[in-house]
Amino acid sequence: MKSIATPTRILEIEGLSARYGHVEALRPVDLHVDEGELVAVLGPNGAGKSTLMNAIMGLVPTQGQVKFRGRAVPRRAPAAAAGLGIVLVPEGRGIFAPMTVAENLELGAYLLNDKHEYARRTARVLAMFPRLKERLAQTAGSLSGGEQQMLAVGRALMSEPKILLLDEPSLGLAPRIIDEILQKLGELNRQGLSIILVEQKAPLVLKLANRAYLLSVGSIAAEIDPRTIKSHDELVQYYLG
Amino acid sequence: MFNLVAQSVLSGIGIGAVYGLIGIGFCVIYNASGIVNFAQGAFVMLGGMLTNVGMIKLGLPLPLAAIGAIAIVAMLGVVLERIVVRPLWNRGSTMFVMILATLAAQIVVERITQIMAGDQPRTLPVFTDLPPLRLFGFAINFQFLWILGCSALVIILLGLFFSSTKTGKAMRACSINRDAAALQGIRVSRMLALAFALSAALGAFAGILITPTQYTAFNVGVPFAISGFIAAIVGGFGRPLGAFAGGILLGVAQALAIVLLGAAFKNVAALSILLLFLFVRPTGLLGPAK
Ligand SMILES: Nc1ncnc2c1ncn2[C@@H]1O[C@H](COP(=O)(O)OP(=O)(O)OP(=O)(O)O)[C@@H](O)[C@H]1O
Ligand SMILES: [Mg+2]
Repeated sequence: MKSIATPTRILEIEGLSARYGHVEALRPVDLHVDEGELVAVLGPNGAGKSTLMNAIMGLVPTQGQVKFRGRAVPRRAPAAAAGLGIVLVPEGRGIFAPMTVAENLELGAYLLNDKHEYARRTARVLAMFPRLKERLAQTAGSLSGGEQQMLAVGRALMSEPKILLLDEPSLGLAPRIIDEILQKLGELNRQGLSIILVEQKAPLVLKLANRAYLLSVGSIAAEIDPRTIKSHDELVQYYLG
Repeated sequence: MFNLVAQSVLSGIGIGAVYGLIGIGFCVIYNASGIVNFAQGAFVMLGGMLTNVGMIKLGLPLPLAAIGAIAIVAMLGVVLERIVVRPLWNRGSTMFVMILATLAAQIVVERITQIMAGDQPRTLPVFTDLPPLRLFGFAINFQFLWILGCSALVIILLGLFFSSTKTGKAMRACSINRDAAALQGIRVSRMLALAFALSAALGAFAGILITPTQYTAFNVGVPFAISGFIAAIVGGFGRPLGAFAGGILLGVAQALAIVLLGAAFKNVAALSILLLFLFVRPTGLLGPAK
């Protein structure tokens, strides 16, 4: 008998691995995200966090399976994954620096062909990040680091993702900007968006996350319930142990 | 003497515009993929040859034959991408290998054309068969005006395509960051095929514009490709407008070398310009593309 409380899986990953030449950057990993969850992926430099994100999207050659709402996500076809509603804000943001802020947002909605819907989404993103509004005609490369990260998130939201993957959005940003961005992500999550958030700075995200995976040398070392982590020290023990 | 020099500058501008269009073709593919497509010359040659065939064998009027030729060459561009470039691309071959493969494709197309169409030179009628215009003592022939007008139109249309259409913006996004473009749902391989189609069509168009003032034959492709390549380098590889300016510069320099130093100096002038830019200003007229 199925209980009402059984959460449905939006993303289910089985035995996903990736290698660069001879380097196995990701050993076969299993993980899942339930609808509406915010799942953190933690781990030190070189643990394979970015590789995991790129592997989910199919940006790198992989083995294993990624299922989105029960359907297999095609491998080596990031555009198709995006079409399903799996959207990654990559490490380093991947904004189109020589293009304008407006063009970047427009490309985020590349798969949309509805003018009214486009206007609605633009308005929503600009309401969320008002600073982008004043800079629509500026080239994206001329934005500050924080604004560029907002643009990267805003561009991803233009596609109205079903699940949003973010690879270290805090990288190189001032604490105040990081707080602002994380707060928006929390808001989006409360509105029902499923999120995978990659971070090195664990304390930042454990407050937001429903669950967390700890990656270490290409494998999942632990699955963490953030409520049980009393202190930062406890997490450090995971890293060491 | 002055008149002779001025007259040859004019004709240099005309042929230079054609080099410029070919150079833009190099830029379009380079921006989309990083590949320097040395089969570009084959597209130029086929533009003139297929238009000639359409008029003579099928009895088509020039505009129809030209449009047909451009469409066929654009499709051949896609075929080239599919059967030569993409298999190498998917296998992760180096740029060097892919560039060599386009050179091989150029030779194959040239030989097939020679077998099918023979080695006799062919030509096309001028687009407007009227005596040259007399303006300030210069003779301006109508084909020159066609070349300038058509290239200007092509450049404006291309500019609009890249700045105002979603597909054009997606192509630019691919040239800036291929992975990030794919993450937006842009099918990068489709954009690559489109770049080859566009570039092939540009080459064919250039070939059709220039053929009435010269001739075409199975082996005219390589010299045109080299001129277009120099134009692209002079313009700062990957900068379409720069390539066009570079083409004009090259055309004028060649024309001046011919009239002042003799026909033998045509290629000397071209290579001198290439070396000059490579040594003195390797980023080209407009600076680096990205
Ligand atoms: N393109 C590549 N070629 C070869 N090795 C790579 C490549 N990208 C990553 N690696 C290797 O794979 C391993 C995992 O890298 P990855 O970037 O996934 O780590 P990460 O957890 O995201 O680290 P960081 O926190 O520094 O971003 C590392 O050992 C790295 O050196
Ligand atoms: Mg990383």
